Amino acid sequence: MTEKTINLEINGRAYQSREGKTILEAAREAGIQIPTLCHSDALEDVGACRLCVVEITHDDWKGWKGLVTACLYPVEEGLEVTTDNAEVQRARKTVLDLLLARCPTSDVIRRLAAEYGVTQTSYKPSDLKTTCILCGLCVRVCEAKGASAIGTAGRGIQKRIAIPFKQPPPDCIGCASCAHICPTNTIKFEDKDGVRKIWGHTFEMVRCTACGQPIMPEVQMEFEAKRSGLSPEYFTICPDCSQAKTVETLGKAFDLESAETRSSS
Amino acid sequence: MEKTLFITPSRCTACRTCELACSFKHSVNGKPGIPRIRAFLLGEGKNQVITCFQCDDAACVRVCPVEALHRNEETGAIEVDGLRCIGCGLCSIACPFGHVRHTAQSEIAVKCDLCAGEPACAAFCPTKTLEYRP
Repeated sequence: MTEKTINLEINGRAYQSREGKTILEAAREAGIQIPTLCHSDALEDVGACRLCVVEITHDDWKGWKGLVTACLYPVEEGLEVTTDNAEVQRARKTVLDLLLARCPTSDVIRRLAAEYGVTQTSYKPSDLKTTCILCGLCVRVCEAKGASAIGTAGRGIQKRIAIPFKQPPPDCIGCASCAHICPTNTIKFEDKDGVRKIWGHTFEMVRCTACGQPIMPEVQMEFEAKRSGLSPEYFTICPDCSQAKTVETLGKAFDLESAETRSSS
Repeated sequence: MEKTLFITPSRCTACRTCELACSFKHSVNGKPGIPRIRAFLLGEGKNQVITCFQCDDAACVRVCPVEALHRNEETGAIEVDGLRCIGCGLCSIACPFGHVRHTAQSEIAVKCDLCAGEPACAAFCPTKTLEYRP
């Protein structure tokens, strides 16, 4: 597979990337950081948070320049990218100002906004009492896991992350990937006494056959075994006990080996 | 794959220099990383060093939902793409040997990557328990 090399300019310096890469990927490869909230390398980008906006222009564009989301815009020959200037700063400030209006209580958003000099939103703060920025990472990771248990519902200001019919989603496997990936820690789950509570579900956890520590919900174990084609036994021992078992097994092999060496000498 | 990491446990003194070298080699933002190699004192003069076997048909690779684990064809090591990893922890549970770690300290999975062909553990091992050779 030979991908075409693309020559582009980022912040006035020449870089090389490959066809099909996004500006964000090219910039990160070059060691230039662009802030993001809704990006994960593992998932498809949707350009939801608009924080990664950069300015682009091209010699052939007769002076036209514009702001695009770096996570979605593919690199092209001769593209000139500016990742940080007054215009980009202004756009990011507006994005953070709006996010701060939606989620005035989110620590993550407040910290990020403060980095761009936004300490107080200039809009009317929302009374939704949410820290969800609707980036959709949870929905996308759920899809990637193969469960697709959660989704978005409603449009415009009504849009929200939702479970079908406000009931515990039947496809949820309790993996909590949605909670782990959430950039603002909005999705909560509780692990207590071998039981996981998430999205209105109460999942019994599989316990390590050696030490009894809870590992993952039983439903998830069945799901993962089926998806990966591995026996469910692969998911019944915790990493610490697996390691202890390896040390013990190899220790015995070592005993046998040294016994053989002694008997042969 | 020209070289392999050889372990000769009979030479090991469990001094744990390998763990230290590994931690430093994999430090993040100036903080030492989780060692991908572990040395254990088993008593009666027996010691054991364990690290990833880089299995052919690896359970960690098979369970990863986002293909964050892949083999480096040059070194033969299975590497974690830290930016792809979503921190679900499946690989560390599925590994039958406990070689993939996933702790609260690092959100992403960590495992031996043979330092992309220059394993620090072998370079620092004072007793040649660890050797990286053809």
